[in-house]
Amino acid sequence: MTDALAARERRAGVGEVLLDVRDLRTHFHVMDGTVKAVDGVSFSLRRGGRLALVGESGCGKSVTALSIMRLIETPPGEFAGGEIIFDGRDLLKLGGRDLREIRGGEIAMIFQEPMTSLNPVMTVGDQIAEAVLLHQGVKRKAADEVALQSLVDVGVPDPKRRLKQYPFELSGGMRQRIMIAMALSCNPKLIIADEPTTALDVTIQRQILELIKTIQERTGTALLLITHDLGVVAETVDDVAVMYAGRVVETGTVDDVLLNPRMPYTRGLLESIPSQAKKGQRLSAIKGVVPNPFRMPPGCKFEPRCPYAWEAGATEEPPLIELGPDRTARCWLYDRRYQDHLAQYDAHITNDSGGTTS
Amino acid sequence: MDSAGTTTLEELEQSPDYDVQLESLNQWQIAWRRFKRHRMALIGSVLFLGMVAVGVFGPFFLPYDHTVIGAPDAKFNAGRPPSPAHLFGDTGRLHRDVLTLVVNGVRLSLLIGILASAMGAIIGTIVGGIAGYFGGWADTILMRIVDALLALPLLFVILVFSQFLGEGHASWWTMTLIFGAFGWLGIARLVRAVMLSLREEDYVDAARAAGVSDLRIIFRHLVPNSLSPIIVATTLGVAGVIIGEAFVSFLGFGVDPAQPTLGNILSGSLEFISQKNWWWAFFPGAAIVVIVLGINFMGDGLRDALDPRAKI
Repeated sequence: MTDALAARERRAGVGEVLLDVRDLRTHFHVMDGTVKAVDGVSFSLRRGGRLALVGESGCGKSVTALSIMRLIETPPGEFAGGEIIFDGRDLLKLGGRDLREIRGGEIAMIFQEPMTSLNPVMTVGDQIAEAVLLHQGVKRKAADEVALQSLVDVGVPDPKRRLKQYPFELSGGMRQRIMIAMALSCNPKLIIADEPTTALDVTIQRQILELIKTIQERTGTALLLITHDLGVVAETVDDVAVMYAGRVVETGTVDDVLLNPRMPYTRGLLESIPSQAKKGQRLSAIKGVVPNPFRMPPGCKFEPRCPYAWEAGATEEPPLIELGPDRTARCWLYDRRYQDHLAQYDAHITNDSGGTTS
Repeated sequence: MDSAGTTTLEELEQSPDYDVQLESLNQWQIAWRRFKRHRMALIGSVLFLGMVAVGVFGPFFLPYDHTVIGAPDAKFNAGRPPSPAHLFGDTGRLHRDVLTLVVNGVRLSLLIGILASAMGAIIGTIVGGIAGYFGGWADTILMRIVDALLALPLLFVILVFSQFLGEGHASWWTMTLIFGAFGWLGIARLVRAVMLSLREEDYVDAARAAGVSDLRIIFRHLVPNSLSPIIVATTLGVAGVIIGEAFVSFLGFGVDPAQPTLGNILSGSLEFISQKNWWWAFFPGAAIVVIVLGINFMGDGLRDALDPRAKI
């Protein structure tokens, strides 16, 4: 419990809103029509805060991250609406030099694939120094010092030799450390980590997560973690936004969302994690598949797969309903009009499991 | 793992490094290894570099000066066959030393070939890089220009240009400019094709995310990654320009005979072939064959050595 308390104190200590994504809509015009990969995503992140965007493949979490970095190619992509306010400026309205100054300088990104995210014909030192030279207006020699220091910060053994090596000489875990060192080197206000551990094996995953966390705590930069792995979420962040079919469907603190999920989709996700407590039982899964992006259900996007759905969800999409401070869920269950459904639902879950998630 | 925040440089330098203990080779070292095992490539390199040495140092060892031209010999018009004084014989009419001409011709032909193909490589890389990386309108416009230029009968264009710029006899650098200005088309197509695949690489997104500008991504990140095919094409291009220049000069539209190139020496010999002055045509012709053969073998070897899919 002390952990939770510490987390709460930390949250109270963090500053004003740094990143405010409001009703972001990123669409892709492809041969067969328009894919609304992100369709009305809103969330905010405070200075020094740690937020995870969680969801299945194709829910739009990576597109959200790439939209913030403005790495979506337009066309085929299109920013069909919304705002991304970062430090007082709308990133969707920036271009050219302003954008390049923010990229890498104020927002840094760590990619999923460390094996392919480094240029094979540039030395590690050159690649780190490049970002430093671009953003800090220093001489080459000073940039090299910064590069060395950032390798030290991420705990790379024999850092002086590493600077002169090419990526192919390094293992996956080492390359991800290099990527983190690059992200760090310009002291960004926000680090976006897009599935930073997915391509790594389990022991290295743990090290990399620890590293990201340590660095985040030491430097006080904000962290936006994109992942499908709820285990990673529990260990790394303070707040969670769950995404489904291009929307945010539930937000709250890690404890609230993971221990007391309010949206049936989140509950389904958590129940589908294998655990020691459920040993011998059949693993539960969410029925059905993610909706076809060309034929989205008209109402709640989760309605076709939702075991608790009734007519309301089939016809009209629920808004994000506020459940408390920093706690929302996109589900008709929490609309005052449907209190009887909520009562049924609550009864159902208590009967069903007796707290499978704890 | 211990908290990374507390480690220092000294600790890290002493900590065991399990990651890589082997001394690994970079791509150029690997390519050099492969090249060394390619026999034809080695022979080609020896031929080519030998001719380069002849061109660079040869003129300093010759007893004759190619710029000093005596008066025509009224009594004896035909050339004289190889002799101790003139190892490759001498030419008809002006009695110039063929060895002197060939050595200076090798020098100038190689200079034209290397400079024009380097110029072509630079223009081609810029055009192809921009077209391939940006795609869309830039690509359409630039590549249609390339298509249009490729549709021209290039040899005739070059003949016309050399007439136009040189009034019959161009200087060697006008020829270089002409061949360079028309020699980038193939490289542009090649580089564009490579760029189209490279721009999808993750490290391009990573570089953009780090705030690197598009032009810097093209020239600092992507061009070095596409250097292998560029090097091969440029090397083979040198042979193409040397043959092209010889052809144009042979037709009498090339470099002024006062500046010997392998082509214009041949051109001069034409008139005396009927008098069996074989040495005048044979030696410059052989020089062209040796240079072109050397370059082609070398280019072949480079292609194999620089191919990342080839086994070591």
